Amino acid sequence: MYSNNYTLFFVFIVTVVLGTMLSFTKDNVKDLQDQNLKADVQKTILRSLNFDESLLLTNESIEQTFKSSIDAKCVNVEGEIVECNIEEVDIEKNEDTLPIYIRMDNDEVQGIALPIAGKGLWSTIYGYIALNPDTDSVLGIQFYKHGETPGLGGEVEKKWFTDNFVNHPLNQPDGEIQYVPKRIRDKSGKIISIKVVKGGVDYSESNTSSIHQVDGISGATVTADGVTDFLLEDLLRYEKTLDKIRDYGTI
Amino acid sequence: MELFNSESKKIVSDPINVNNPISLQVLGICSALAVTIRLDQAIIMTLAVVFVLCSSNVILSLIRNYIPTRVRIVIMLSVIASLVSVVDELLKAYLYDMSKQLSVFVGLIITNCIIMGRAEAFALKHGPSKAFLDGLGNSMGYGLIIIIVSFFRELFGAGTITLPDGGAGYVLWRIPESWYAAGYENIGLLVLSPGAFIILGLVIWIQREFAGVEEDA
Repeated sequence: MYSNNYTLFFVFIVTVVLGTMLSFTKDNVKDLQDQNLKADVQKTILRSLNFDESLLLTNESIEQTFKSSIDAKCVNVEGEIVECNIEEVDIEKNEDTLPIYIRMDNDEVQGIALPIAGKGLWSTIYGYIALNPDTDSVLGIQFYKHGETPGLGGEVEKKWFTDNFVNHPLNQPDGEIQYVPKRIRDKSGKIISIKVVKGGVDYSESNTSSIHQVDGISGATVTADGVTDFLLEDLLRYEKTLDKIRDYGTI
Repeated sequence: MELFNSESKKIVSDPINVNNPISLQVLGICSALAVTIRLDQAIIMTLAVVFVLCSSNVILSLIRNYIPTRVRIVIMLSVIASLVSVVDELLKAYLYDMSKQLSVFVGLIITNCIIMGRAEAFALKHGPSKAFLDGLGNSMGYGLIIIIVSFFRELFGAGTITLPDGGAGYVLWRIPESWYAAGYENIGLLVLSPGAFIILGLVIWIQREFAGVEEDA
């Protein structure tokens, strides 16, 4: 039988040794981890803007592509450009410094990526939605960080779910089906965002708003409702900016 | 030398075959179901478990005569949890894509019954070299099963065979388009958890048949 003092002493030593080992490890790899995180965010932005996957294979090529083809700046809710350190803007807290990433090609806007974030079921979900220059049709959507249940809410980051936003089946007169992106504006041009519907989207003629709806995830209604809510909320913050880009082709 | 006599061989080979932790003892099933969607995930998971189980067995065996009996479970857990955290941090630094795919399941190695089980049943009663061999055998036994399960799940579920390559995975082989054109279809069920149950059940059956194990009625 060991004495209480010995037991306490032993536990103390073990704790110190293991704690030192952990902090030593963390200290050594923190820089690499931060680089990976940064590259992952940039990759998400580039993916949402529909860049070719072959450009996104290594951290270096991601950074290179990002630097050369993305115009990153901040705007306020009035649609005016404001000064900011874009990497440090917390979109969850900041009401009036909104990051915007524009894909430029020969001085023309090719796509606009906006950060989106909000509560799912267990966690805050982070991602980017990219719009075409018409600021109406979706170019892509990607999520990069969340703590939702793998297999249920975690499916938001999967290709089948994000593909929902760019594959709206339209019946052509000749019987073929053509796929077009979903739209965030209604016929009058007002931003109404996209709704994640429980079950699946009703694609019959009677459902006139199916172009503003995507299929939900079974077993993850709360996560899906969360996505619906923060998508609308976040898009509305950019309403004036998006109107400007649509009308004048620039901010 | 102690390392290479027949007893040592038995310590390594038994858990791979006749006393396999998954198929015979039915331990560590949770992660066996969760990380077997793709072969590359299963391989990385195997390496992580080999590292954690071998190190935890050796460390605990080295200090086994000093651990106060009353707090041994706490000590075992702390050692295992620290090792798992180290693996998790290393994956995030060097294999970021893989760590994202494995998500919580790396952290859940802590609760893998095989690791606590081997610590309690073997490492605390034997010397470090035997404990190391026992850890190696058991983690390989675990790895063998999840690699077999993931191979079939990926091949028939997704139609690919993927090896780990530091990024999003290297596709070694893919079912040719002509097969699909000829009417071949992937079995979607295998990608879902119930598919893992079915494959794992078949593997357990076949393995027990070969190992000649019969359950007492």
